[in-house]
Amino acid sequence: MVAAAAHAATRYVLRLYVTGSTPHSTRAISNIRKICEEHLDGRYDLEVIDISQYPSLAKGEQIIAAPTLIRKLPLPLRRFIGDMSQTQRILLGLDLRKAESSSAKLP
Amino acid sequence: MHKHLSSRSALLDENAALHAQLDEAAETLRAIRSGEVDALVVQSSRGPQIYTLQGQDAETNRFRGEMLAQVSDAIIAVDGDERITYLNAAAERLYGFDGPRALGRTLTTIFKSRWLHPQDEAAARTALQERGEWRGENVHVRHDGHELNVESSITVLRGIDGLPTGQLAVIRDVTERKQNEDRVLVSEIRYRRLFEAAHDGVLVLDAGTHRIIDANPFMTQMLGYPRDQLIGKELFEIGLLRDDAASQEMFRNLERAEQVRYESLPLESPGGRHQTVEVVANLYEENGRPVIQCNIRDITERRRSEEHVKLLMAEVNHRAKNLLAVVQAVAYQTAKHGDPATFADRLSERIGGLAAGQDLLVKSEWKGVEVCELVEAQLAHFKELIGRRVVLDGPPAQLTPQAAQGIGMALHELATNAVKYGALSNGEGRVRIVWKIIADSTPAFSISWLEDGGPKVAAPGRKGFGQIVIGRMAEAAVQGVAAITYGESGLSWNLSAPLEDTLTVIQVAA
Repeated sequence: MVAAAAHAATRYVLRLYVTGSTPHSTRAISNIRKICEEHLDGRYDLEVIDISQYPSLAKGEQIIAAPTLIRKLPLPLRRFIGDMSQTQRILLGLDLRKAESSSAKLP
Repeated sequence: MHKHLSSRSALLDENAALHAQLDEAAETLRAIRSGEVDALVVQSSRGPQIYTLQGQDAETNRFRGEMLAQVSDAIIAVDGDERITYLNAAAERLYGFDGPRALGRTLTTIFKSRWLHPQDEAAARTALQERGEWRGENVHVRHDGHELNVESSITVLRGIDGLPTGQLAVIRDVTERKQNEDRVLVSEIRYRRLFEAAHDGVLVLDAGTHRIIDANPFMTQMLGYPRDQLIGKELFEIGLLRDDAASQEMFRNLERAEQVRYESLPLESPGGRHQTVEVVANLYEENGRPVIQCNIRDITERRRSEEHVKLLMAEVNHRAKNLLAVVQAVAYQTAKHGDPATFADRLSERIGGLAAGQDLLVKSEWKGVEVCELVEAQLAHFKELIGRRVVLDGPPAQLTPQAAQGIGMALHELATNAVKYGALSNGEGRVRIVWKIIADSTPAFSISWLEDGGPKVAAPGRKGFGQIVIGRMAEAAVQGVAAITYGESGLSWNLSAPLEDTLTVIQVAA
């Protein structure tokens, strides 16, 4: 709770790389939008980038698979792969929820 | 010591960063192995190359994406929670939302639906549930409040297990078309009403075949044909422009000038009724098809009225000349007797008498004058005596204009004479004016002036103008016979004439 409170005013800048309307990409878009609306209401910028339309945009961020979510802010930069359906892992990775056990490893 | 601690701290940070990178690499591998990714990106000398993992190469995907981007209809895909998973460039333009901002948001973020009819929404849901698709129209209210009339085709998307995964909508903006349709509808209602309610006949003809393709209700009323019997007929078949040469000329003129006008044409309706019509025809195009619109106005009554006015004018002219001749004669005869002052008085009185009769004729539009009214007009100066010392007795009878003029002048002379010398010159005398219709083998009209109680009268020594008026002039006006008696009790005058020369035809019939 303390961690969550500390981040209450932090602005998140997220970038989601997808490949058109493929199944994982469409799910990733919906899932991450849902997470943001529920946990970062009004303090996030989410940019969805379709690398099937603009492959060159995949270069700068060293994207090797899609869908990929990058937390650009707050630092440090974090990277998540997949359809973003594992909400708990994503929340932990975004520092929006404390790990329940110290053995949990997050990207 | 401090330096040692600092390098230890740096090493720990570096170690943590390396761990994080290792974790990311492990996570990436895990995600690829567990099939959570759709595509891999390989950095090459030509830039990043994208390989999808579902049998479609990136080029195919990109091609599809470009195709959808080129489609002018808006295309939006949503998942089971109505979150946008795809929208093409047309959708971005239509709703004013770019893809990165819209993707993942619920559909209601970019627009809200308003249904044209209350039952439409439930019908759309049922169609999607039962048939997996719905097509229809409704209104999309954009996030900025702007309203769009749209025509949508929505299909339920299904996964390989057959279960619904979302919906795909192809949306066409028909706002402008709708506005045009509304304008056309308003115009149709307005001009259809003009056409239906017009009190002129309107025919629409095919300019190629010259056959009727439409007719308004007033036209069917004018001709006495039901509408369906008018359709397909040519003008000559409905009794208009029966002369072939004239008909051909009208169509030739129309082609040349695009409008023709005939002020007066005969129209014979099927029942044999003759009408006079004014025709204005215009040539124009309906969706590239040349048609002729004929406006047909029944001017039979107007023509009749114009003829009547013309006739009346000629009659007025004729009567004015007659009257002037009478005035001339009156002036001439009056001048024969007495001094200039008396002449002026007598002439003025006599013209006054003529004018009174004239007024009555004008009032009745020269149709005739009731005897009773004529008598009252000529005795206007003795109005207070009528009913007391002057008694009128006779049936309703309308004199012809000529009879009214002759009898009117005679009554005027008799009244003037009675006041000066006869029954009305004292306080006791009486006058009875009696008229009757004698139903005989030759029906006749008779009118008498009977004086009683006045001073004794004798026949005048010479025949003045008054004598001529109650005698010869009165006789000439009605082709009748006048009789004057100078009795002990006063003057008696009678004029008898054939009924047909005295009373109007209507009166004879009555």
